[in-house]
Amino acid sequence: MSKIHAALEIGTSRTVLAVGETQTGGRMKILSHAEIPSSGVRKSQIIDISQATQSIRSVLREIEAKQDSTGGNVEIHNALLVASGQHIHVANAEGNAVVAGGRVGDAEIMEAARRSREMPIPKGRELLDIVDQDYQIDNLVGITSPKGMSGRMLRLNTLQIHASSDRIQDARTAAEGARLEISEPVFAATCTADAVLEEHERRNGVLVLDLGGGSTGYAAYCDGYLAAAGVVGVGGDHVTNDIAYAFQTTNAQAERLKTDEASAVIGQYTTDNARVRLTGSSALMESRAISRRALDTVVNARLKELFTVIRETLEEADLIHRLHAGVVIAGGGAGMRDLESLAELELGLGVRRGRPLQVDGLEDVSDPWAFATISGALLYSQRASGADKSFLGDIIGRFFK
Amino acid sequence: MSAASSPMLLVGVGTAGSRIAHGVSRAFGGDLRLLAVDTDAASGQDEENFLLIGGNRLSGRGAGGDVVAARLAAEDSISALDGKLEGVRLAVVVTALGGGTGGGATIEILKRLTDLGIHSIVFATTPFAFEGEDRMRSARGVMSMVEEAASAAFFLPLDKLVGGEDNMEAAMKRAVDTIAGGVTLFWRLVEKPGYIRLDADRIRRLVANAGRGRFAFVTVQGPDRASEAVDRLVRSEMLAIASAPVNAILCGVLAGEDLRLSELGRVADGIREAFGEQIPFEIGTVNDEATFCGRLSVVVMLFESAAAVETPQQGQAGARRRGAAKSPLGPGQGSARRFHKTEPTIWHGEDLDLPTYLRRNINLDL
Repeated sequence: MSKIHAALEIGTSRTVLAVGETQTGGRMKILSHAEIPSSGVRKSQIIDISQATQSIRSVLREIEAKQDSTGGNVEIHNALLVASGQHIHVANAEGNAVVAGGRVGDAEIMEAARRSREMPIPKGRELLDIVDQDYQIDNLVGITSPKGMSGRMLRLNTLQIHASSDRIQDARTAAEGARLEISEPVFAATCTADAVLEEHERRNGVLVLDLGGGSTGYAAYCDGYLAAAGVVGVGGDHVTNDIAYAFQTTNAQAERLKTDEASAVIGQYTTDNARVRLTGSSALMESRAISRRALDTVVNARLKELFTVIRETLEEADLIHRLHAGVVIAGGGAGMRDLESLAELELGLGVRRGRPLQVDGLEDVSDPWAFATISGALLYSQRASGADKSFLGDIIGRFFK
Repeated sequence: MSAASSPMLLVGVGTAGSRIAHGVSRAFGGDLRLLAVDTDAASGQDEENFLLIGGNRLSGRGAGGDVVAARLAAEDSISALDGKLEGVRLAVVVTALGGGTGGGATIEILKRLTDLGIHSIVFATTPFAFEGEDRMRSARGVMSMVEEAASAAFFLPLDKLVGGEDNMEAAMKRAVDTIAGGVTLFWRLVEKPGYIRLDADRIRRLVANAGRGRFAFVTVQGPDRASEAVDRLVRSEMLAIASAPVNAILCGVLAGEDLRLSELGRVADGIREAFGEQIPFEIGTVNDEATFCGRLSVVVMLFESAAAVETPQQGQAGARRRGAAKSPLGPGQGSARRFHKTEPTIWHGEDLDLPTYLRRNINLDL
């Protein structure tokens, strides 16, 4: 019998629920997915639980309606929670083991892993994941497979990804209000990476940007493992807000200007005096037109700044020059016009939009990059349920994910 | 980095504030970005670093103790301030409350800084008792507005700062020198850090959130100078003026190359023991043999805002957003208030929730 997986993303702009099934051969097939505009969420954090609950109820109803129309009968009682927002922190940790016989064996590898899992996290935080990086034996660093090597001390470097317990609990509470149980929270950026990356890209060094509505997650891979990750509290909603502020529009008008008219690169398609007419509910509003160049300038300034923050963060981590496979951008904000060109310019790397790999069922979707994170969460659920649940199996599973 | 392009600006408001600012500048060897703002043309020592406000209204003769006139003067000239703020991310404002220009113009200047996304730390003196109840009442009336408009505000009662033994002129001079000394120490701590740097993000976060705080400093020498410094600080009246419990501590230790690790430990332990061991604590050092040879200075800032610890940047963000709501764009028109219920995004001291084009002063040519 095939296993059913469900994942919920309570985003700033939209709430998404997807249900998937593992197919023969291991690919994930999305049976049904639904999205509705979010309420009660700002910068990827719930600020009104009752509104967020209402959004989750609506998205559950839409999934049920879709199933009714297609003859499906999957009941969703629990789902993975895709967690994003700047309350998520990533910290270095490690686990050490004495190499008793002078040569590293399974026992030392397990001991280092066990100790790395014993590293505490700060109070008030909930662990989302511990991701294994590389090993060190005495002074020799960057080892990916230590078994059989000689030395005295083995160290496993890991990344702890943890989130505010309160923010995760808020999401649980909102979901419970809609009679949906959260089985586990998972980090959005690594989910996105799981969905969009090819294995060779991880080996060669790649940056994944999950450009959401309220925040932007990033995950940088080098030599096959996660080298750095984090969240910048700036997303597509900031672009919308900047437009609304600059041109005195409603948020709905600003959103339309962002998605339909604006370019991330100034003057890409327009003459200096080109103007964009606003749509609105009144004649006065519809009589207004704004400068297209000014519109592009507002959008360009915001996105350029976002990429600068990302670039400086990676430079501080000494990673930017190791990303030979470039950048993959996904998330709801990835569809902005000329975003790739600007990112290439600001990051100095090749950029592509990321669409979910190893996933079927999104053929009718015009913006597959917007479903990368939820697809990655389903893949995570699939891997977690099918993985060897032994301790060593878990470690190996994590290391090679 | 040259002083002219520094992201930190020292602003002296009014005659007393300008005098303090120039005192800090002299102590810093002139290598400091400075702006003196006054309604009195006579206090302008050099044209480049001086902004006369309300020239048309007051003819450069000062506000004559009239807070309202000074405030209007600042409003008249506020756009001229913008030209002096290019590249500024943090403004340290020194002012004297109770007088006209300090009491009136400071508020408008702080609001403008907020609108431009510039963090502000205010060191404001409150009058001596001998100056009379009217001036004290005037100062009290402005304090809450300063606290609301600034990122962080330190109110320094002159009586407690210099005591009451001097005659008026001597007391005034000593007050100016003392505050200038304290601000100079703070400036050094940020601009010329030693072996232990204050965590820059933490400082910005503390400042962005701080609201009202307490500020004191001591300079001592001798074999047991660390213990003596702690003892004097703990007994300092300046740190005893509490309006709320302490929620974060920033401590700077400034000395020559002879600063010992044990002294640093003694200062840190002593301050934490006195003001709360469970409270977030940041410490930094300055090692400057030429200035501190044999002496040890310790600067302590106690932050009282609960928001400083629990929801970083909320205080500043709130202040900024109040400013944004009063912008010419009008309320409800896509202001940064959209994000006001969330934790602000701070990067290198800037609130990224505010529109980028505004913070960068980009002309949109609408």
